[in-house]
Amino acid sequence: MNKKTYSRTILILGLGILVLLLASVFVGRYPKPFWLPPGLLSQDLLARQLVLNLRLPRLLTAFLLGMVLSATGSVMQMVFRNPLVEPGFLGVSQGAAFGAAVSILWLNRHPLVIELSATFFGLLALLTSYLLSTRIRYGGWVLRLILSGVAVSAFFSAGVGVLKYIADPLTELPELTFWLLGGLYSVTWRDLLFALPFALAGIVIAFVMRWRVNLLSLNDDTAFSLGASLTRERIILLIVTISATAALTAISGIIGWVGLIIPHISRRLFGASAEKSIPAAMLLGGGFTVFADDLARTLLPGEIPLGILTSAIGAGLFIYLMVSIGLKVRRDG
Amino acid sequence: MDKILSLKEIHYRYHLDAPNVLTDLSLDIPSGKITAILGPNGIGKTTLLHILLGLLKPFQGEVAVAGKPHREYSRQELSQLIGLVPQLESIPFNFSVFEYVLLGRSPYLKPFQLPGKEDLRITEEALESAGIYHLMNKPVTELSGGERQLVQISRVLTQQTRILLLDEPTAHLDLENQNRILSLLKRMSSRGITTVLTTHDPNAAIFAADHFVLMSQGNIAAQGGLRGVITAENLSLIYKTPIRVEQTNGFTMVVMDKVK
Repeated sequence: MNKKTYSRTILILGLGILVLLLASVFVGRYPKPFWLPPGLLSQDLLARQLVLNLRLPRLLTAFLLGMVLSATGSVMQMVFRNPLVEPGFLGVSQGAAFGAAVSILWLNRHPLVIELSATFFGLLALLTSYLLSTRIRYGGWVLRLILSGVAVSAFFSAGVGVLKYIADPLTELPELTFWLLGGLYSVTWRDLLFALPFALAGIVIAFVMRWRVNLLSLNDDTAFSLGASLTRERIILLIVTISATAALTAISGIIGWVGLIIPHISRRLFGASAEKSIPAAMLLGGGFTVFADDLARTLLPGEIPLGILTSAIGAGLFIYLMVSIGLKVRRDG
Repeated sequence: MDKILSLKEIHYRYHLDAPNVLTDLSLDIPSGKITAILGPNGIGKTTLLHILLGLLKPFQGEVAVAGKPHREYSRQELSQLIGLVPQLESIPFNFSVFEYVLLGRSPYLKPFQLPGKEDLRITEEALESAGIYHLMNKPVTELSGGERQLVQISRVLTQQTRILLLDEPTAHLDLENQNRILSLLKRMSSRGITTVLTTHDPNAAIFAADHFVLMSQGNIAAQGGLRGVITAENLSLIYKTPIRVEQTNGFTMVVMDKVK
Protein backbone atom coordinates (compact mmCIF):
# COMPACT_ATOMS: atom_id res chain seq x y z
CA MET A 1 0.00 0.00 0.00
CA ASN A 2 1.55 3.31 -1.03
CA LYS A 3 1.72 6.36 1.19
CA LYS A 4 -1.15 8.19 -0.48
CA THR A 5 -3.61 5.28 -0.31
CA TYR A 6 -2.52 4.63 3.25
CA SER A 7 -3.06 8.22 4.38
CA ARG A 8 -6.46 8.28 2.72
CA THR A 9 -7.51 4.97 4.29
CA ILE A 10 -6.33 6.09 7.74
CA LEU A 11 -8.22 9.36 7.35
CA ILE A 12 -11.43 7.53 6.44
CA LEU A 13 -10.90 5.07 9.28
CA GLY A 14 -10.29 7.94 11.71
CA LEU A 15 -13.44 9.75 10.58
CA GLY A 16 -15.44 6.52 10.88
CA ILE A 17 -14.20 6.04 14.42
CA LEU A 18 -15.02 9.65 15.28
CA VAL A 19 -18.59 9.05 14.11
CA LEU A 20 -18.68 5.83 16.15
CA LEU A 21 -17.45 7.70 19.25
CA LEU A 22 -20.03 10.46 18.82
CA ALA A 23 -22.83 7.97 18.22
CA SER A 24 -21.71 5.91 21.21
CA VAL A 25 -22.43 8.88 23.49
CA PHE A 26 -26.09 8.45 22.64
CA VAL A 27 -26.21 4.65 22.55
CA GLY A 28 -27.44 2.99 25.73
CA ARG A 29 -30.53 2.05 27.66
CA TYR A 30 -31.62 5.43 29.00
CA PRO A 31 -34.27 6.70 28.81
CA LYS A 32 -35.33 3.66 26.81
CA PRO A 33 -33.27 0.93 25.09
CA PHE A 34 -30.72 1.73 22.41
CA TRP A 35 -30.89 5.49 21.79
CA LEU A 36 -30.86 8.73 23.72
CA PRO A 37 -32.19 11.53 21.51
CA PRO A 38 -29.55 14.32 21.54
CA GLY A 39 -32.24 16.94 22.09
CA LEU A 40 -32.99 15.43 25.46
CA LEU A 41 -29.63 16.58 26.82
CA SER A 42 -30.81 20.17 27.17
CA GLN A 43 -33.98 19.19 29.03
CA ASP A 44 -33.13 16.15 31.13
CA LEU A 45 -30.62 16.76 33.94
CA LEU A 46 -30.20 13.04 34.57
CA ALA A 47 -29.42 12.41 30.90
CA ARG A 48 -26.82 15.15 30.96
CA GLN A 49 -25.17 13.78 34.10
CA LEU A 50 -25.29 10.28 32.67
CA VAL A 51 -23.48 11.39 29.54
CA LEU A 52 -20.93 13.62 31.27
CA ASN A 53 -20.07 11.48 34.27
CA LEU A 54 -20.62 7.92 33.08
CA ARG A 55 -20.65 7.55 29.32
CA LEU A 56 -17.90 9.98 28.36
CA PRO A 57 -15.20 8.64 30.72
CA ARG A 58 -16.28 5.11 29.85
CA LEU A 59 -16.08 5.75 26.12
CA LEU A 60 -12.68 7.38 26.33
CA THR A 61 -11.37 4.60 28.55
CA ALA A 62 -12.67 1.97 26.11
CA PHE A 63 -10.97 3.79 23.25
CA LEU A 64 -7.66 4.13 25.10
CA LEU A 65 -7.86 0.52 26.28
CA GLY A 66 -8.31 -0.71 22.72
CA MET A 67 -5.48 1.48 21.45
CA VAL A 68 -3.11 0.36 24.20
CA LEU A 69 -3.93 -3.35 23.91
CA SER A 70 -3.46 -3.28 20.13
CA ALA A 71 -0.27 -1.21 20.29
CA THR A 72 1.14 -3.50 22.97
CA GLY A 73 0.11 -6.59 21.02
CA SER A 74 1.70 -5.27 17.81
CA VAL A 75 4.91 -4.29 19.57
CA MET A 76 5.18 -7.57 21.48
CA GLN A 77 4.43 -9.77 18.47
CA MET A 78 7.16 -8.08 16.48
CA VAL A 79 9.72 -7.73 19.26
CA PHE A 80 9.25 -11.38 20.24
CA ARG A 81 9.15 -12.35 16.55
CA ASN A 82 6.10 -14.43 17.26
CA PRO A 83 2.67 -13.64 15.84
CA LEU A 84 0.87 -15.47 18.64
CA VAL A 85 2.07 -13.32 21.51
CA GLU A 86 -0.44 -11.04 23.23
CA PRO A 87 -0.19 -8.45 26.02
CA GLY A 88 -1.09 -10.95 28.75
CA PHE A 89 2.04 -12.86 27.87
CA LEU A 90 4.77 -12.67 30.54
CA GLY A 91 2.19 -12.97 33.31
CA VAL A 92 1.01 -9.35 33.20
CA SER A 93 -2.74 -10.10 33.03
CA GLN A 94 -2.68 -12.82 35.67
CA GLY A 95 -0.43 -10.70 37.86
CA ALA A 96 -2.86 -7.78 37.60
CA ALA A 97 -5.78 -10.11 38.35
CA PHE A 98 -3.98 -11.38 41.42
CA GLY A 99 -3.30 -7.80 42.55
CA ALA A 100 -6.96 -6.87 42.15
CA ALA A 101 -8.03 -9.98 44.07
CA VAL A 102 -5.62 -9.23 46.92
CA SER A 103 -7.02 -5.73 47.13
CA ILE A 104 -10.67 -6.84 47.05
CA LEU A 105 -10.09 -9.45 49.74
CA TRP A 106 -7.64 -7.87 52.10
CA LEU A 107 -6.73 -4.30 51.36
CA ASN A 108 -9.54 -2.10 50.28
CA ARG A 109 -12.35 -2.24 47.76
CA HIS A 110 -11.84 1.37 46.82
CA PRO A 111 -11.32 1.39 43.03
CA LEU A 112 -8.10 3.37 43.23
CA VAL A 113 -6.58 0.87 45.64
CA ILE A 114 -7.64 -2.01 43.37
CA GLU A 115 -6.04 -0.24 40.40
CA LEU A 116 -2.79 0.47 42.19
CA SER A 117 -2.58 -3.08 43.49
CA ALA A 118 -3.36 -4.55 40.05
CA THR A 119 -0.77 -2.33 38.34
CA PHE A 120 1.80 -3.18 40.97
CA PHE A 121 1.33 -6.95 40.66
CA GLY A 122 1.11 -6.76 36.86
CA LEU A 123 4.50 -5.08 36.72
CA LEU A 124 5.84 -7.42 39.40
CA ALA A 125 4.86 -10.39 37.19
CA LEU A 126 6.67 -8.77 34.25
CA LEU A 127 9.79 -8.20 36.32
CA THR A 128 9.68 -11.75 37.71
CA SER A 129 9.32 -13.22 34.22
CA TYR A 130 12.24 -11.17 33.03
CA LEU A 131 14.52 -12.02 35.95
CA LEU A 132 13.57 -15.69 35.76
CA SER A 133 14.39 -15.74 32.04
CA THR A 134 17.91 -14.50 32.73
CA ARG A 135 18.47 -17.54 34.97
CA ILE A 136 17.42 -20.12 32.40
CA ARG A 137 20.55 -21.54 30.82
CA TYR A 138 19.29 -22.79 27.48
CA GLY A 139 17.36 -21.61 24.44
CA GLY A 140 17.27 -18.21 22.74
CA TRP A 141 15.93 -15.21 24.62
CA VAL A 142 12.43 -15.55 23.14
CA LEU A 143 12.09 -19.14 24.31
CA ARG A 144 13.45 -18.24 27.75
CA LEU A 145 10.92 -15.40 28.16
CA ILE A 146 8.04 -17.55 26.91
CA LEU A 147 8.92 -20.32 29.37
CA SER A 148 9.28 -17.99 32.33
CA GLY A 149 6.13 -16.06 31.28
CA VAL A 150 4.13 -19.29 31.24
CA ALA A 151 5.44 -20.27 34.67
CA VAL A 152 4.84 -16.86 36.26
CA SER A 153 1.38 -16.65 34.68
CA ALA A 154 0.45 -20.08 36.04
CA PHE A 155 1.74 -19.13 39.46
CA PHE A 156 -0.41 -15.98 39.67
CA SER A 157 -3.36 -17.78 38.15
CA ALA A 158 -3.11 -20.40 40.91
CA GLY A 159 -2.98 -17.51 43.40
CA VAL A 160 -6.19 -16.06 41.94
CA GLY A 161 -7.77 -19.52 42.22
CA VAL A 162 -6.89 -19.73 45.90
CA LEU A 163 -8.24 -16.24 46.56
CA LYS A 164 -11.51 -17.07 44.78
CA TYR A 165 -11.78 -20.21 46.87
CA ILE A 166 -11.43 -18.36 50.16
CA ALA A 167 -13.41 -15.26 49.12
CA ASP A 168 -16.73 -14.59 50.84
CA PRO A 169 -19.27 -15.93 48.31
CA LEU A 170 -21.80 -13.21 49.14
CA THR A 171 -19.71 -10.07 49.18
CA GLU A 172 -16.24 -10.59 47.77
CA LEU A 173 -16.66 -13.33 45.19
CA PRO A 174 -19.17 -11.53 42.92
CA GLU A 175 -17.01 -8.42 42.74
CA LEU A 176 -13.89 -10.48 42.11
CA THR A 177 -15.58 -12.57 39.41
CA PHE A 178 -16.96 -9.53 37.64
CA TRP A 179 -13.54 -7.91 37.70
CA LEU A 180 -11.96 -11.04 36.25
CA LEU A 181 -14.52 -11.16 33.44
CA GLY A 182 -13.59 -7.62 32.55
CA GLY A 183 -15.79 -4.58 32.16
CA LEU A 184 -15.89 -0.82 32.15
CA TYR A 185 -19.17 -0.45 34.04
CA SER A 186 -17.68 1.46 36.96
CA VAL A 187 -15.21 3.74 35.16
CA THR A 188 -15.07 7.31 36.44
CA TRP A 189 -13.10 10.36 35.35
CA ARG A 190 -10.73 9.69 38.22
CA ASP A 191 -9.98 6.17 36.99
CA LEU A 192 -9.30 7.53 33.55
CA LEU A 193 -6.96 10.21 34.91
CA PHE A 194 -5.07 7.57 36.88
CA ALA A 195 -4.38 5.48 33.78
CA LEU A 196 -3.95 8.36 31.34
CA PRO A 197 -0.21 9.08 31.83
CA PHE A 198 0.70 5.38 31.45
CA ALA A 199 -1.61 4.97 28.46
CA LEU A 200 -0.33 8.07 26.67
CA ALA A 201 3.30 7.13 27.33
CA GLY A 202 2.67 3.67 25.84
CA ILE A 203 0.81 4.99 22.81
CA VAL A 204 3.27 7.78 22.06
CA ILE A 205 6.40 5.63 22.45
CA ALA A 206 4.95 2.77 20.36
CA PHE A 207 4.02 5.34 17.71
CA VAL A 208 7.31 7.23 17.47
CA MET A 209 9.46 4.10 17.75
CA ARG A 210 7.52 2.09 15.20
CA TRP A 211 10.34 2.05 12.66
CA ARG A 212 12.63 0.58 15.32
CA VAL A 213 9.99 -2.11 16.00
CA ASN A 214 10.50 -3.26 12.39
CA LEU A 215 14.22 -3.67 13.04
CA LEU A 216 13.61 -5.63 16.22
CA SER A 217 11.49 -8.14 14.29
CA LEU A 218 14.56 -9.24 12.32
CA ASN A 219 17.29 -11.70 13.34
CA ASP A 220 19.47 -10.37 16.16
CA ASP A 221 22.54 -10.13 13.92
CA THR A 222 20.67 -8.35 11.11
CA ALA A 223 19.02 -5.90 13.52
CA PHE A 224 22.42 -5.20 15.11
CA SER A 225 24.04 -4.65 11.73
CA LEU A 226 21.33 -2.08 10.95
CA GLY A 227 22.23 -0.11 14.06
CA ALA A 228 19.66 -1.35 16.59
CA SER A 229 20.68 -1.32 20.26
CA LEU A 230 18.82 -4.56 20.86
CA THR A 231 18.57 -4.79 24.64
CA ARG A 232 17.96 -1.10 25.26
CA GLU A 233 15.30 -0.67 22.59
CA ARG A 234 13.49 -3.87 23.55
CA ILE A 235 13.40 -2.90 27.22
CA ILE A 236 12.11 0.62 26.53
CA LEU A 237 9.36 -0.61 24.23
CA LEU A 238 8.25 -3.49 26.44
CA ILE A 239 8.25 -1.51 29.68
CA VAL A 240 6.20 1.43 28.40
CA THR A 241 3.65 -0.63 26.51
CA ILE A 242 3.20 -3.24 29.22
CA SER A 243 2.92 -0.56 31.94
CA ALA A 244 0.17 1.04 29.87
CA THR A 245 -1.58 -2.33 29.59
CA ALA A 246 -1.24 -2.98 33.32
CA ALA A 247 -2.63 0.45 34.25
CA LEU A 248 -5.67 0.02 32.00
CA THR A 249 -6.19 -3.63 32.94
CA ALA A 250 -6.36 -2.39 36.52
CA ILE A 251 -9.51 -0.43 35.57
CA SER A 252 -11.09 -2.79 33.09
CA GLY A 253 -10.22 -6.26 34.31
CA ILE A 254 -8.94 -8.82 31.85
CA ILE A 255 -9.99 -7.96 28.29
CA GLY A 256 -8.86 -10.77 26.06
CA TRP A 257 -8.17 -11.12 22.35
CA VAL A 258 -8.03 -7.43 21.37
CA GLY A 259 -4.23 -7.38 21.65
CA LEU A 260 -3.90 -10.62 19.71
CA ILE A 261 -6.37 -10.27 16.87
CA ILE A 262 -6.29 -6.54 16.04
CA PRO A 263 -2.56 -6.52 15.15
CA HIS A 264 -3.21 -9.45 12.79
CA ILE A 265 -6.07 -7.66 11.07
CA SER A 266 -4.02 -4.48 10.81
CA ARG A 267 -1.07 -6.30 9.23
CA ARG A 268 -3.41 -7.99 6.77
CA LEU A 269 -4.96 -4.70 5.74
CA PHE A 270 -1.95 -2.39 5.84
CA GLY A 271 1.07 -4.70 5.41
CA ALA A 272 3.61 -6.06 7.88
CA SER A 273 5.71 -2.91 8.25
CA ALA A 274 5.07 -1.41 11.68
CA GLU A 275 5.38 2.03 10.11
CA LYS A 276 1.84 1.56 8.81
CA SER A 277 0.44 -1.34 10.81
CA ILE A 278 0.94 0.09 14.33
CA PRO A 279 -0.96 3.38 13.87
CA ALA A 280 -3.70 1.47 12.06
CA ALA A 281 -3.85 -1.18 14.79
CA MET A 282 -4.29 1.54 17.41
CA LEU A 283 -7.25 3.05 15.56
CA LEU A 284 -8.82 -0.33 14.79
CA GLY A 285 -8.33 -1.51 18.38
CA GLY A 286 -9.85 1.65 19.83
CA GLY A 287 -12.83 1.42 17.50
CA PHE A 288 -13.31 -2.30 18.13
CA THR A 289 -13.29 -1.91 21.91
CA VAL A 290 -15.69 1.06 21.85
CA PHE A 291 -18.03 -0.96 19.62
CA ALA A 292 -17.81 -4.04 21.86
CA ASP A 293 -18.45 -1.87 24.91
CA ASP A 294 -21.51 -0.31 23.23
CA LEU A 295 -22.86 -3.83 22.81
CA ALA A 296 -21.89 -4.72 26.39
CA ARG A 297 -23.98 -1.96 27.89
CA THR A 298 -26.87 -1.99 25.44
CA LEU A 299 -27.76 -5.50 24.31
CA LEU A 300 -29.24 -6.79 27.57
CA PRO A 301 -30.96 -4.99 30.42
CA GLY A 302 -28.01 -6.00 32.60
CA GLU A 303 -24.37 -5.40 31.73
CA ILE A 304 -22.56 -8.07 29.68
CA PRO A 305 -18.92 -8.26 30.84
CA LEU A 306 -16.80 -6.65 28.10
CA GLY A 307 -14.15 -9.39 28.32
CA ILE A 308 -16.75 -11.99 27.31
CA LEU A 309 -17.76 -9.97 24.25
CA THR A 310 -14.25 -9.16 23.05
CA SER A 311 -13.28 -12.82 23.46
CA ALA A 312 -16.36 -14.06 21.63
CA ILE A 313 -16.08 -11.57 18.76
CA GLY A 314 -12.28 -11.84 18.67
CA ALA A 315 -12.31 -15.64 18.56
CA GLY A 316 -14.97 -15.53 15.83
CA LEU A 317 -12.86 -13.16 13.74
CA PHE A 318 -9.78 -15.26 14.36
CA ILE A 319 -11.49 -18.41 13.13
CA TYR A 320 -12.85 -16.54 10.11
CA LEU A 321 -9.38 -15.23 9.24
CA MET A 322 -7.76 -18.64 9.62
CA VAL A 323 -10.34 -20.53 7.62
CA SER A 324 -11.10 -18.07 4.86
CA ILE A 325 -7.95 -16.20 4.00
CA GLY A 326 -5.21 -17.66 6.16
CA LEU A 327 -3.17 -15.60 8.58
CA LYS A 328 -0.30 -15.24 6.13
CA VAL A 329 2.26 -15.54 8.85
CA ARG A 330 4.82 -18.21 8.43
CA ARG A 331 7.80 -19.19 10.40
CA ASP A 332 10.56 -20.10 8.11
CA GLY A 333 14.29 -20.56 8.01
CA MET B 1 48.20 -4.43 1.20
CA ASP B 2 45.64 -1.78 2.10
CA LYS B 3 43.70 -3.36 4.96
CA ILE B 4 40.28 -2.17 6.00
CA LEU B 5 39.47 -4.73 8.68
CA SER B 6 42.01 -6.25 10.98
CA LEU B 7 41.82 -8.72 13.81
CA LYS B 8 44.69 -8.92 16.26
CA GLU B 9 45.27 -11.85 18.60
CA ILE B 10 41.57 -12.61 19.02
CA HIS B 11 40.43 -15.10 21.63
CA TYR B 12 36.73 -15.95 21.80
CA ARG B 13 34.50 -18.37 23.71
CA TYR B 14 30.73 -18.30 24.21
CA HIS B 15 30.79 -18.73 27.99
CA LEU B 16 33.51 -18.21 30.54
CA ASP B 17 33.77 -21.94 31.18
CA ALA B 18 33.35 -23.04 27.54
CA PRO B 19 36.30 -24.02 25.32
CA ASN B 20 37.74 -21.41 22.95
CA VAL B 21 36.07 -21.11 19.53
CA LEU B 22 38.82 -18.84 18.26
CA THR B 23 42.34 -18.85 19.68
CA ASP B 24 44.95 -16.18 19.08
CA LEU B 25 43.58 -15.40 15.65
CA SER B 26 45.07 -12.54 13.64
CA LEU B 27 43.79 -11.58 10.21
CA ASP B 28 43.87 -8.64 7.80
CA ILE B 29 41.14 -8.14 5.21
CA PRO B 30 42.30 -6.31 2.05
CA SER B 31 40.31 -3.24 1.06
CA GLY B 32 38.10 -3.35 -2.06
CA LYS B 33 38.58 -7.08 -2.62
CA ILE B 34 36.50 -10.19 -2.10
CA THR B 35 37.84 -12.32 0.72
CA ALA B 36 36.53 -15.86 1.12
CA ILE B 37 36.77 -17.52 4.51
CA LEU B 38 36.81 -21.26 3.92
CA GLY B 39 36.55 -24.12 6.32
CA PRO B 40 34.42 -27.08 7.34
CA ASN B 41 31.07 -26.63 9.13
CA GLY B 42 31.24 -25.57 12.76
CA ILE B 43 34.80 -24.28 12.65
CA GLY B 44 33.90 -20.73 13.79
CA LYS B 45 33.34 -18.90 10.48
CA THR B 46 30.05 -17.32 11.61
CA THR B 47 31.59 -16.42 14.97
CA LEU B 48 34.40 -14.69 13.11
CA LEU B 49 31.89 -12.68 11.02
CA HIS B 50 29.97 -11.68 14.15
CA ILE B 51 33.22 -10.47 15.72
CA LEU B 52 34.05 -8.43 12.60
CA LEU B 53 30.53 -6.97 12.80
CA GLY B 54 30.95 -6.07 16.46
CA LEU B 55 27.99 -8.19 17.62
CA LEU B 56 30.32 -10.46 19.61
CA LYS B 57 33.08 -8.96 21.71
CA PRO B 58 36.31 -10.97 21.87
CA PHE B 59 37.61 -11.96 25.30
CA GLN B 60 41.03 -10.80 24.25
CA GLY B 61 42.45 -9.01 21.25
CA GLU B 62 41.33 -6.11 19.13
CA VAL B 63 39.22 -5.54 16.04
CA ALA B 64 39.99 -2.46 13.97
CA VAL B 65 37.88 -0.99 11.15
CA ALA B 66 39.65 1.43 8.81
CA GLY B 67 42.44 1.76 11.34
CA LYS B 68 40.22 2.60 14.32
CA PRO B 69 39.20 0.09 17.04
CA HIS B 70 35.54 -1.01 17.07
CA ARG B 71 34.83 0.61 20.41
CA GLU B 72 35.62 4.08 19.08
CA TYR B 73 32.67 3.90 16.69
CA SER B 74 29.06 4.57 17.71
CA ARG B 75 26.42 1.95 16.83
CA GLN B 76 25.18 4.20 14.06
CA GLU B 77 28.63 4.88 12.56
CA LEU B 78 29.43 1.19 12.52
CA SER B 79 26.14 0.33 10.83
CA GLN B 80 26.91 2.86 8.09
CA LEU B 81 30.26 1.12 7.57
CA ILE B 82 29.57 -2.63 7.78
CA GLY B 83 26.56 -4.52 6.40
CA LEU B 84 25.64 -8.15 7.03
CA VAL B 85 23.77 -10.83 5.12
CA PRO B 86 23.23 -13.62 7.65
CA GLN B 87 22.97 -17.24 6.62
CA LEU B 88 19.37 -17.95 7.49
CA GLU B 89 17.37 -14.80 8.01
CA SER B 90 14.01 -15.93 9.30
CA ILE B 91 11.33 -13.32 8.73
CA PRO B 92 8.17 -14.23 10.63
CA PHE B 93 6.06 -11.39 9.21
CA ASN B 94 5.24 -10.96 5.56
CA PHE B 95 6.95 -7.70 4.73
CA SER B 96 6.82 -6.90 1.05
CA VAL B 97 10.20 -7.05 -0.69
CA PHE B 98 10.21 -3.25 -0.89
CA GLU B 99 9.39 -2.79 2.80
CA TYR B 100 12.10 -5.26 3.78
CA VAL B 101 14.81 -3.77 1.54
CA LEU B 102 13.91 -0.26 2.77
CA LEU B 103 14.94 -1.36 6.28
CA GLY B 104 18.53 -1.09 5.01
CA ARG B 105 18.17 2.69 5.28
CA SER B 106 17.80 2.52 9.08
CA PRO B 107 21.43 3.47 9.86
CA TYR B 108 20.79 6.87 8.26
CA LEU B 109 17.58 7.63 10.18
CA LYS B 110 17.41 9.50 13.47
CA PRO B 111 15.77 7.53 16.35
CA PHE B 112 12.18 8.64 15.62
CA GLN B 113 12.60 9.36 11.91
CA LEU B 114 10.84 7.54 9.06
CA PRO B 115 12.41 6.97 5.63
CA GLY B 116 11.92 9.82 3.15
CA LYS B 117 11.83 10.23 -0.63
CA GLU B 118 15.61 9.84 -0.99
CA ASP B 119 15.51 6.55 0.94
CA LEU B 120 12.75 5.24 -1.33
CA ARG B 121 14.80 6.18 -4.39
CA ILE B 122 17.93 4.42 -3.09
CA THR B 123 15.82 1.34 -2.35
CA GLU B 124 14.44 1.26 -5.89
CA GLU B 125 17.97 1.57 -7.26
CA ALA B 126 19.20 -1.31 -5.12
CA LEU B 127 16.32 -3.53 -6.31
CA GLU B 128 17.16 -2.64 -9.87
CA SER B 129 20.88 -3.37 -9.60
CA ALA B 130 20.13 -6.75 -8.00
CA GLY B 131 17.73 -7.46 -10.86
CA ILE B 132 14.66 -7.97 -8.65
CA TYR B 133 12.75 -4.75 -9.26
CA HIS B 134 9.79 -6.80 -10.49
CA LEU B 135 9.52 -8.56 -7.11
CA MET B 136 9.03 -5.28 -5.25
CA ASN B 137 5.49 -5.96 -4.05
CA LYS B 138 5.85 -9.68 -3.40
CA PRO B 139 5.78 -10.85 0.24
CA VAL B 140 9.25 -11.98 1.37
CA THR B 141 7.76 -15.17 2.82
CA GLU B 142 6.75 -16.28 -0.69
CA LEU B 143 10.18 -16.03 -2.33
CA SER B 144 12.40 -18.87 -3.54
CA GLY B 145 15.80 -19.37 -1.92
CA GLY B 146 17.67 -17.55 -4.68
CA GLU B 147 15.25 -14.61 -4.76
CA ARG B 148 15.41 -14.32 -1.00
CA GLN B 149 19.20 -14.13 -1.05
CA LEU B 150 19.03 -11.38 -3.71
CA VAL B 151 16.52 -9.51 -1.54
CA GLN B 152 18.88 -9.71 1.44
CA ILE B 153 21.76 -8.45 -0.67
CA SER B 154 19.57 -5.58 -1.92
CA ARG B 155 18.94 -4.68 1.72
CA VAL B 156 22.69 -4.29 2.35
CA LEU B 157 23.02 -2.38 -0.91
CA THR B 158 20.59 0.26 0.39
CA GLN B 159 22.73 0.38 3.52
CA GLN B 160 25.52 1.75 1.31
CA THR B 161 28.34 0.36 3.45
CA ARG B 162 31.99 0.11 2.46
CA ILE B 163 32.21 -3.37 3.92
CA LEU B 164 29.90 -6.32 3.31
CA LEU B 165 29.88 -9.48 5.38
CA LEU B 166 28.03 -12.48 3.94
CA ASP B 167 27.53 -15.74 5.79
CA GLU B 168 27.37 -18.69 3.37
CA PRO B 169 25.65 -16.63 0.64
CA THR B 170 25.45 -19.57 -1.79
CA ALA B 171 24.57 -22.41 0.58
CA HIS B 172 21.39 -24.26 -0.49
CA LEU B 173 21.29 -22.52 -3.88
CA ASP B 174 21.30 -24.20 -7.30
CA LEU B 175 24.10 -23.42 -9.77
CA GLU B 176 22.20 -20.71 -11.66
CA ASN B 177 21.42 -18.84 -8.46
CA GLN B 178 24.96 -19.31 -7.15
CA ASN B 179 26.18 -17.71 -10.35
CA ARG B 180 23.72 -14.80 -10.01
CA ILE B 181 24.71 -14.08 -6.41
CA LEU B 182 28.47 -14.39 -6.91
CA SER B 183 28.40 -12.31 -10.11
CA LEU B 184 26.48 -9.60 -8.26
CA LEU B 185 29.08 -9.64 -5.49
CA LYS B 186 31.85 -9.30 -8.10
CA ARG B 187 30.10 -6.32 -9.66
CA MET B 188 29.85 -4.67 -6.27
CA SER B 189 33.48 -5.40 -5.52
CA SER B 190 34.48 -3.73 -8.78
CA ARG B 191 32.86 -0.58 -7.37
CA GLY B 192 35.30 -0.71 -4.44
CA ILE B 193 33.16 -2.46 -1.82
CA THR B 194 35.14 -4.76 0.46
CA THR B 195 33.42 -8.12 0.68
CA VAL B 196 33.99 -10.89 3.19
CA LEU B 197 32.10 -14.12 2.63
CA THR B 198 32.20 -17.42 4.39
CA THR B 199 31.67 -20.64 2.53
CA HIS B 200 32.31 -24.32 2.97
CA ASP B 201 32.42 -24.73 -0.81
CA PRO B 202 35.92 -24.07 -2.25
CA ASN B 203 34.60 -23.82 -5.84
CA ALA B 204 32.24 -20.97 -4.94
CA ALA B 205 35.18 -19.22 -3.30
CA ILE B 206 37.42 -19.74 -6.33
CA PHE B 207 34.68 -18.35 -8.62
CA ALA B 208 34.38 -15.06 -6.75
CA ALA B 209 37.23 -14.33 -4.38
CA ASP B 210 40.57 -12.52 -4.72
CA HIS B 211 41.84 -13.39 -1.27
CA PHE B 212 41.48 -16.73 0.53
CA VAL B 213 41.51 -17.56 4.21
CA LEU B 214 41.48 -21.19 5.35
CA MET B 215 40.23 -21.81 8.87
CA SER B 216 41.07 -24.80 10.96
CA GLN B 217 40.49 -25.46 14.67
CA GLY B 218 39.76 -21.90 15.70
CA ASN B 219 42.61 -20.35 13.81
CA ILE B 220 43.92 -19.49 10.36
CA ALA B 221 45.60 -22.39 8.56
CA ALA B 222 46.59 -20.41 5.47
CA GLN B 223 45.79 -17.13 3.78
CA GLY B 224 46.72 -15.37 0.56
CA GLY B 225 46.07 -15.70 -3.19
CA LEU B 226 44.51 -18.63 -5.02
CA ARG B 227 47.74 -20.48 -5.92
CA GLY B 228 49.24 -20.40 -2.47
CA VAL B 229 46.14 -21.28 -0.47
CA ILE B 230 43.91 -23.52 -2.57
CA THR B 231 46.20 -26.53 -2.75
CA ALA B 232 45.34 -30.21 -2.49
CA GLU B 233 47.48 -30.48 0.59
CA ASN B 234 45.83 -27.55 2.47
CA LEU B 235 42.29 -28.54 1.59
CA SER B 236 42.76 -32.24 2.33
CA LEU B 237 44.12 -31.25 5.72
CA ILE B 238 41.30 -28.91 6.81
CA TYR B 239 38.42 -30.90 5.31
CA LYS B 240 39.92 -34.16 6.58
CA THR B 241 39.19 -35.92 3.29
CA PRO B 242 41.34 -36.49 0.17
CA ILE B 243 40.89 -33.55 -2.21
CA ARG B 244 42.40 -32.82 -5.64
CA VAL B 245 42.89 -29.39 -7.19
CA GLU B 246 42.70 -29.48 -11.00
CA GLN B 247 43.42 -26.94 -13.70
CA THR B 248 41.27 -27.02 -16.82
CA ASN B 249 41.41 -24.32 -19.48
CA GLY B 250 42.87 -21.88 -17.02
CA PHE B 251 40.20 -22.60 -14.38
CA THR B 252 41.03 -24.01 -10.97
CA MET B 253 38.60 -26.62 -9.72
CA VAL B 254 38.42 -28.53 -6.47
CA VAL B 255 37.19 -32.14 -6.57
CA MET B 256 36.82 -34.77 -3.92
CA ASP B 257 39.13 -37.68 -4.39
CA LYS B 258 37.81 -41.20 -4.01
CA VAL B 259 38.46 -42.56 -0.55
CA LYS B 260 40.48 -45.72 -1.04
